[in-house]
Amino acid sequence: MKLTLNNFDEETKNVKKNNKNWIKVGLSTCGIAAGADVAFATIKKVLQENGSDVEVIRTGCAGKCYAEPLVEVKIEGMPQVVYGNVNEEVATKIVQKHVMGKQLINDHIYLVKDA
Amino acid sequence: MAKAFINNIEVEFEKGRTILDVAQQVQVKIPTLCKHKDLCATGACGICVVKVEGSNRMLRACCTAMDEGMKIKTHDPELIEIRRTVIELILSNHPNDCLTCGRNNDCELQTIMADFGIREELFNKIVKEIPKDSTTRTIELEPSKCIGCGRCIEVCQNVQNVWALSFLERGINTRMAPAGDIQLGDSPCVRCGQCSAHCPTGAIFEFDQTRNVWKLLQDPDIHCVVQIAPSVRVAIGEGFGYPVGTNLTKKIYAALRRLGFNTVFDTNFSADVTIMEEASEFVERFVNKKGALPLITTCCPAWVDFMEKYHADMIEHFSSAKSPQEIMSTLCKTYFAEKKKIDPAKMKVISIMPCTAKKYEISRSSEMSASGYQGTDYVLTTREIIRMIKQAGIDFNSIPDEESDHMMGDYSGAGTIFGATGGVMEAALRTAYNFVTKENLPKVEFENVRGLKGVKETAIMINGIEIKIAVAHGLGNVEYVLNKIKKAKEKGEPLPYHFVEVMACPGGCIGGGGQPYGVTDEVRMIRAKGLYQDDEASSVRCSHDNPFVKELYKDFLGAPLSEKAHHLLHTKYVPRPEYKK
Amino acid sequence: MWKYKKVILVKDTDTGKETVRFSELFNSALRDRGLDGEVQVIRSADINVYNQGIVVKIIPGNITYSKVEEKDIDLIVRKSIKKEEALKEIQIDPKDKQVRIVLRNCGIIDPENINDYISVDGYKGLKKVLEQNDRDKVIAEIKISGLRGRGGGGFPTWMKWSFAKDQKNDTKFIICNADEGDPGAYMDRSVLEGDPHSVLEGMIIAGFAVGAKKGYFYIRAEYPLAIARVELAIKQAREKGLLGNNILGTQFSFDLEVRLGAGAFVCGEETALIASIEGKRGCPSPRPPYPSISGLWGKPTVINNVETLANISPIMHKGGEWFAEIGTERSKGTKVFALTGKVENSSLIEVPMGITLKEIIYEIGGGVLNNKKIKAVQTGGPSGGVIPEEYFDTSIDYESLQNLGSIMGSGGMIVMDEDDCMVDIAKFYLKFCVDESCGKCAPCRIGGKQMLELLTEISEGKATFEQVDKLKLISKAMQKASLCGLGQTAPNPVLSTLKYFEQEYVDHIKDKKCVSGKCEALFIYEIIQDKCKRCSLCQRNCPVEAIPGDRDKGYAIDQKKCIKCGKCFEVCKFEAVNR
Repeated sequence: MKLTLNNFDEETKNVKKNNKNWIKVGLSTCGIAAGADVAFATIKKVLQENGSDVEVIRTGCAGKCYAEPLVEVKIEGMPQVVYGNVNEEVATKIVQKHVMGKQLINDHIYLVKDA
Repeated sequence: MAKAFINNIEVEFEKGRTILDVAQQVQVKIPTLCKHKDLCATGACGICVVKVEGSNRMLRACCTAMDEGMKIKTHDPELIEIRRTVIELILSNHPNDCLTCGRNNDCELQTIMADFGIREELFNKIVKEIPKDSTTRTIELEPSKCIGCGRCIEVCQNVQNVWALSFLERGINTRMAPAGDIQLGDSPCVRCGQCSAHCPTGAIFEFDQTRNVWKLLQDPDIHCVVQIAPSVRVAIGEGFGYPVGTNLTKKIYAALRRLGFNTVFDTNFSADVTIMEEASEFVERFVNKKGALPLITTCCPAWVDFMEKYHADMIEHFSSAKSPQEIMSTLCKTYFAEKKKIDPAKMKVISIMPCTAKKYEISRSSEMSASGYQGTDYVLTTREIIRMIKQAGIDFNSIPDEESDHMMGDYSGAGTIFGATGGVMEAALRTAYNFVTKENLPKVEFENVRGLKGVKETAIMINGIEIKIAVAHGLGNVEYVLNKIKKAKEKGEPLPYHFVEVMACPGGCIGGGGQPYGVTDEVRMIRAKGLYQDDEASSVRCSHDNPFVKELYKDFLGAPLSEKAHHLLHTKYVPRPEYKK
Repeated sequence: MWKYKKVILVKDTDTGKETVRFSELFNSALRDRGLDGEVQVIRSADINVYNQGIVVKIIPGNITYSKVEEKDIDLIVRKSIKKEEALKEIQIDPKDKQVRIVLRNCGIIDPENINDYISVDGYKGLKKVLEQNDRDKVIAEIKISGLRGRGGGGFPTWMKWSFAKDQKNDTKFIICNADEGDPGAYMDRSVLEGDPHSVLEGMIIAGFAVGAKKGYFYIRAEYPLAIARVELAIKQAREKGLLGNNILGTQFSFDLEVRLGAGAFVCGEETALIASIEGKRGCPSPRPPYPSISGLWGKPTVINNVETLANISPIMHKGGEWFAEIGTERSKGTKVFALTGKVENSSLIEVPMGITLKEIIYEIGGGVLNNKKIKAVQTGGPSGGVIPEEYFDTSIDYESLQNLGSIMGSGGMIVMDEDDCMVDIAKFYLKFCVDESCGKCAPCRIGGKQMLELLTEISEGKATFEQVDKLKLISKAMQKASLCGLGQTAPNPVLSTLKYFEQEYVDHIKDKKCVSGKCEALFIYEIIQDKCKRCSLCQRNCPVEAIPGDRDKGYAIDQKKCIKCGKCFEVCKFEAVNR
């Protein structure tokens, strides 16, 4: 469906899927070089193993190069946090502890978004 | 007209002209090493920088248009210091081979060094050894002497549309070379030599064959014949301090004899013979409808090479008549040898040409040896013969006039104008008119084909029939003419032209790649004028009226396009690859 | 459901060593009060406050305490956890110094999904522009915003557009310059990879404003992911009717094509970039004529940098005045920097114009790496210069940086510490320009190389002060007589290090000494036998086996084999290796 000036507002009103729970992984060159693709795959895999329907979203670089790979997690009711230096082990923890266990993880929080 | 100031002097100028240009109007010379009047500015050398009031930046005078109200300063201690630094940088990147360089005493870099009084080298030498490329045996590339001005590339690509030369690599390793880093002889180079004529240094130079000729001249068993091309006579003087365009035909004859040549002929004579053949060919095609139209002239070997490489589909349009150089050489080793009872095996023909491509032409196909011997043995450019005359201690300026050797030394006015763009066409029309109408033109001059316009299109009436003609010079201008022909042929439309003349070099042979340096349109106009004056002063104005030409046909060839003429004076063309490998 | 009600984030922002102990103290304090089931104590990796001792943040509520001491812990638990009170004495209010306009969507949306972009007001700027259908209004809005070119030059964007708009020509072009090449700079790559549609939208609006029907993305081939994401974005935009014929159903048509740069730095210069797109050797040509008058194939062409274009949509959507409120008098909006070098947090940041270097380095960057002594900050890449510590309070804007002998540049910002030798830094940047010079004009081609040779002589201790005079002489000729920006600015790193760190040059020339220990030729490594404890650590760590000997005879460095890597110097625990 092509957008026009007339249908723009109507057609774009609901383009965004409204997920309550999601995990964003910064998948730009910088992140990938630091292992973000591994984190991305691990998170998807472990979520599936746990039967979770949390959405995993690819994003660009969030800017904290010193902490790549970066993973942002939003689980309803919990503080929205950005984890950094997410290797395979941490990625697994994010799903098992944060998503499933509803606990934040030590030593990897780089930012807490307005709670 | 707009107004501005240069060094506080008010100057009026046409909009669009560069600061460099406008400065000359008020007797200010801004130095430059890369800008050549013929060519678009490349902005490469950085020497022509000037200050403009109100700006911190310096502007390149060569490529910045003068603006209304500008206040320009061209010389002050700061500008001179910057220029000197740039010049010293260029010096640090250039070998100190002046004494053994072909451009010694005639080098733009050397001149500017002298003007700036550079007495010692401020910076360490950074010169890369790059081997010479002599593979064309017409033009030599010596990239280590290149100062990167880009003139050769500009002329090769944008004026001549040949695209043989380019810059390779980058930074300090940037070098001028055939595109693809191949040898020049394997490239699309058509040997026009315009690169060498525009090079400010000795980085591109004609393939010098003066020593080979000296050797022949010393050999008592060899009969050396020499011929001089039309345009040489009005350019050679520049090597001896004469005003541009001075016609020095008879001094050249005398000097050549003193150099030791046994017989002195003139290519103007064979130009007349070329016209007899080519005009006949035109009449054959135009009146008798035998062969393709338009007919395209082929006196220029660089053009022939260009056509064989880039436009081989046009071969049927090419006149099969050899060039005047080759006709002369072939006739020397047949007609002249027979008549004077000289063994052609012991005869050598040397030609003095304005052209580097002529060095290539002598071996371009087997027809060049139709006499049974290599037609022309050596070709020397105008620049080379000037050096030989100087070496021989001949006081060219005072030498008394002499005549050529008559048999093939006398020419008509039509023969002499071959050296300028439009000249071959004009000469051919004079004779073609006569061949069709059996009468001579009441007025032989064709002003419409003269001058430096890139493509000249006009028409003349012969017997009430319109003949449409085009004259192009500078290979970059050929595309327009050929496209018009090709388009008409494709669509089956009436031909845009019946007769086309092409000369590879801008201005024709008077602006040839082997002529003295410093050619600009102004110089071209004056040299051409010298030839037109020679024509006017001639008692015989048409090739077919040259008594010696008549004798040649009566005694030897029979008639134009006769079997003998075909065998000796005509050639063939073949498609050639642009790149050899 | 989340099992906790609150989180206490703890971080030792000085050395990091006390984080564990303090979090344990918090845990036991919580246990003492029976709160350990309700509150989770988390060791934070970064709390975005630096050099403030122990920092504690309580969530929700975002109460932040700095310089927390052991005695405060109980009070914090009692007041701020059990109740909702704050301890005013140690409370701080850390403000995020960053303002994200260009990077507004980076790390937030899926760059490969156009709907994600649309959901965050994407293409609303374009919609507004096409609804107004007034080219002059677009340019007027950009003029109000005060936006200047982010590629480094800082030329007012509206003027570029206006020149091109005023040209009477049916064919005009928009080019996005994504040939980012400064060492240490990756702003454009991040934008293209993280939010390609924002750049697309900027180009389409530019196309409308100047009357162009065609645009080119000139992206360096070394950015394969950026290329893939831009190509996908183009495809998606076409499918949505946002690109191609009759955009959003209007009479306006505009399309885009990607062209790859082949690795030449100079092709970021606009005339060289144009030559490259035309299929020619990527060499600059003299200006004027400027591309906005006669550019690609001789047609009026607007060339804007990625970051500039990413600003367009928000300006159109929110208005030029909104944009102009950010920044300084003459430099509006924000600037993205790639903050790298000897800084704790190497990061891609976007800050409002007018911020100081100090704020960037210490409040965003977290200070100097390993607590070394800072020496300078380099901005503007090979065209820029170094700024010493005494000028860190200078406001970051186009003019101020230029006055300091550096430039804004495209956004590289490299922090240098005491281990960085300024002669070596100058040499590094100059070498970059020498390698990247296209070779067309003599001042840059030869001048750069000669300067590099002179600097090399200085760094090898073979120079006299005459070399410095020659450096200055060539610098001036290059600045004034080079054809393009590359050559004109190549001497800047040399001149600015000479200006601010002349003593280091003197050290190299007079004392044949490189205090930073960078210039290899000027030092040799030696083992001081009196101090050597014969532990063999140096021998075991030497990568080229240049330290013969054993524990009985002792060790010595074979100078012929030594490559001066400094490993022995680093590993020796007894300061027995001298340099």
